Amino acid sequence: MPLWRQPLDKDRILITHGIVHIIDDRCKGCGFCIEFCPQGTLGISDRTNTKGYHPPRVIEENLCVNCGLCTLLCPDFAIYIEDGGKQTPGLIHPVQRNEVKK
Amino acid sequence: MTAERIDSKTKPRIMTYEASSEGDWITGLHPMDDLLRGERLPHIWCQGCGLGTALTSFISSLKWLEKRKGWDLDKVAVVSGIGCTGRIAGYVRLDSFHTIHGRAIPFATGLKIANPELKVIVISGDGDIAGIGGNHFIHAARRNLGITVVCVNNFNYGMTGGQVGPTTPHEARAVTAQYGNYEYPFNLPYLAAASGASYVARWTTLHARQLDWTLRKALTHPGFSFVEIIAPCSTAYSRWNPEGKGLDPENLRRRGLEVMKHYQRVGKTDHGLHPKDAHIKVNERGEIIEIIEGEFLLETRPDFEEAMNQRVEIAEKYWQREKAALDKRVSLSIKKKKVPRTEIQLGGFGGQGIMSAGKIIGMAAAVFNNLEACFTQSYGPEARGGAAGSQVIISSSPIHHPHLTEPTSMIIMSQGAYDKYVDTLAIDGVLLIDNELVILPEDHRTDIKTLGIPATKIAEEAGNNRAANTVMLGFWTAVEGIVDQKAMEESIAESVPPKTVDLNLDVFRTGYQEGLAQG
Repeated sequence: MPLWRQPLDKDRILITHGIVHIIDDRCKGCGFCIEFCPQGTLGISDRTNTKGYHPPRVIEENLCVNCGLCTLLCPDFAIYIEDGGKQTPGLIHPVQRNEVKK
Repeated sequence: MTAERIDSKTKPRIMTYEASSEGDWITGLHPMDDLLRGERLPHIWCQGCGLGTALTSFISSLKWLEKRKGWDLDKVAVVSGIGCTGRIAGYVRLDSFHTIHGRAIPFATGLKIANPELKVIVISGDGDIAGIGGNHFIHAARRNLGITVVCVNNFNYGMTGGQVGPTTPHEARAVTAQYGNYEYPFNLPYLAAASGASYVARWTTLHARQLDWTLRKALTHPGFSFVEIIAPCSTAYSRWNPEGKGLDPENLRRRGLEVMKHYQRVGKTDHGLHPKDAHIKVNERGEIIEIIEGEFLLETRPDFEEAMNQRVEIAEKYWQREKAALDKRVSLSIKKKKVPRTEIQLGGFGGQGIMSAGKIIGMAAAVFNNLEACFTQSYGPEARGGAAGSQVIISSSPIHHPHLTEPTSMIIMSQGAYDKYVDTLAIDGVLLIDNELVILPEDHRTDIKTLGIPATKIAEEAGNNRAANTVMLGFWTAVEGIVDQKAMEESIAESVPPKTVDLNLDVFRTGYQEGLAQG
């Protein structure tokens, strides 16, 4: 990942940033948010909620770009994104591919 | 050991459902919670079901419309039928109604027509809309009624356990088609477009963002808008089909996710494609290998409400003309003599004017003589030539029972009607017959008064044999004297074709004179 070519004007770009909120006890562990997050922000957590499912957890906070797809896809109203303003990206990541994800 | 077993049987088992009970849902944690009925949540949908995603997309589009288009969400009504999808009406904090199976669209039709300001959205499943409610669906589309129909299609009857439905793809497996479905499914966008819907789109639940945008468009569309949402059925349909990876233990708990990934692979967006080609392609194993999605049709033409209002304007003009004619009606003096309940039976064959004769008597009594009148008809399936009968009841006081109990007066114009009705006539009743057409048998009743007139012959001589009923009416009016002659003449003048008014009045008077002479 660090070998991905970085744009020269990286310092001047601002990208939107989102803060992920997960309501653990609503989650049914369908895995939609983890699978379809375009940035790969989320992963499965080890802990279980009161229903016995593994809710998602945030792997890397800075990756979220506030697209809100997880909010739309979640069938159980268990995840939403709060607008976190804009920030300069640390590293520009390629679009996440399914194979790359752990 | 034995003691333990007995113990466990006798002791009441305490079910610990508290953790998932209604009180478990803490509302206000999520931005969409203000449009959800927290007291009914968490919802019943399985893990990995697409319905939750369909609901979030719907709420998201409503929120956008409220924020950007200034929609008043108090003017939004959600109607749903039976099925897993039918639960949506119960979960949204909007005016909503959960109707009986398949009848969501008729309910919505009434709602929309009674209150055109409402934005009515029908959200229901494929079994509800295309299966049991299929007829309502095509007719609402045909009328271009201004409602939005969202059909969440999961290819089977999910709530009842995964039976074959009207949208189960050919060759796909279901719980009642273990060796492959041999029926062919509906292509719902094509059905909607062919029936007359003016906005047609399809998305899978994976394309939640596009679905959100499409729903915004569909909700603001003035005519009938139809959106099909392809949703995974993680428990029933995908158990039997390759998309859900079947009974592969690794994926058992994630079948919905596997189906969503499959949609990612096979979904193909093609806007503006003819809905006929918007297929869901299936291979010989029943695996879906292509889903065409997108917005297929967007037409602007008058919706049901607009068309109806245009027609109302036209009808208003005609009505004014008719009303002017009605205002010119002669008002005769109120009949002072009290008329007891009088029952009249008319009989003949179709085409003789038995129905119109009954109507003329009723109108003369009710409109021109200020009496109460009730008119019923009975006839066979044939329009002309078959047996026909009509019944009129006249009284000064309100008529509470509309059917004849014992007719006291009878006008008979055919042999068949004579055979059928003569025995029902009350003792001392009056039987009036066309004595050219009815031949009295030897054992004719002697306890009644029988009078005859060659009505058809008289009418024929006057120039039109179809006026025979008017001759009989004149005869009846003179014999019975319940309704005034003047009232009958007014009623005839209003009922018969304008060109034959003079002829009819002539033969009416002939009959009347004959009646006076005989009665």
